[in-house]
Amino acid sequence: MANPGRYGIERFAYWLMRITGLGLLAYFIGHIYETSSLLNGKDAWDAMLEMTQTTEGHVLLTLVIGMCVFHTANGIRVMLGHGGVGVGKPSRPDYPYAPASQNSMHKLCIYASIGLAALAMMYGISVLFGE
Amino acid sequence: MRESIIMKIHYGTALGAVALVAVHILFRITMMDYTESLQYENVLANYQFIPYAIMLELILVLLSVHGFNGLRVILLELKQGRSYERAVTYGCIAAMAVLIAYGSRTILMASMGMA
Repeated sequence: MANPGRYGIERFAYWLMRITGLGLLAYFIGHIYETSSLLNGKDAWDAMLEMTQTTEGHVLLTLVIGMCVFHTANGIRVMLGHGGVGVGKPSRPDYPYAPASQNSMHKLCIYASIGLAALAMMYGISVLFGE
Repeated sequence: MRESIIMKIHYGTALGAVALVAVHILFRITMMDYTESLQYENVLANYQFIPYAIMLELILVLLSVHGFNGLRVILLELKQGRSYERAVTYGCIAAMAVLIAYGSRTILMASMGMA
């Protein structure tokens, strides 16, 4: 079922969209918990910062940046596709029944989303590790 | 509620969150150095700036609604059934409410100087 080579980039994007969504939700919950330490005073905040401002913490944050950018860019593609943008004009279905919503433009957008995520991660690394 | 309306809310919250999270991140990296912006006094000052606190509350609500509805959609794709769907829907609503309440508590108390 999760074989991107067999099912193409669309299935890969489908799984990546869900995995990044779950990852971002987990990060969001963690972020809410992390920022709540603000209420316990400066020492608690600094202790929490010390825990997150590590190499592992920065690697995690870089992954979050990548997940966020891919989820956003691919989400906009999905949204436009649902709205009928970039899926072409309706036509008679002829063999081999190529789905209109999985055309080359949408494939290109998936690759562009992955590329954008990679670029954002590189920028994130430069900000986080370039201190 | 009809699923088509829920999906419109899902897309609306996504677009709103993208715009506001962009501002939130820009605050971290453009106003001052990233590390400096995370200092206790600077973070507290951000919370006590009321327009920023309102923006944080909006982000909290938008992302909670979007995130837990996304989780609901994923769980409903995996398995179907009347009682299962009901449990997933109410579970996600409850989790969303708890997260919004917990996050709002931080925003309210920090912005009112109770930190």
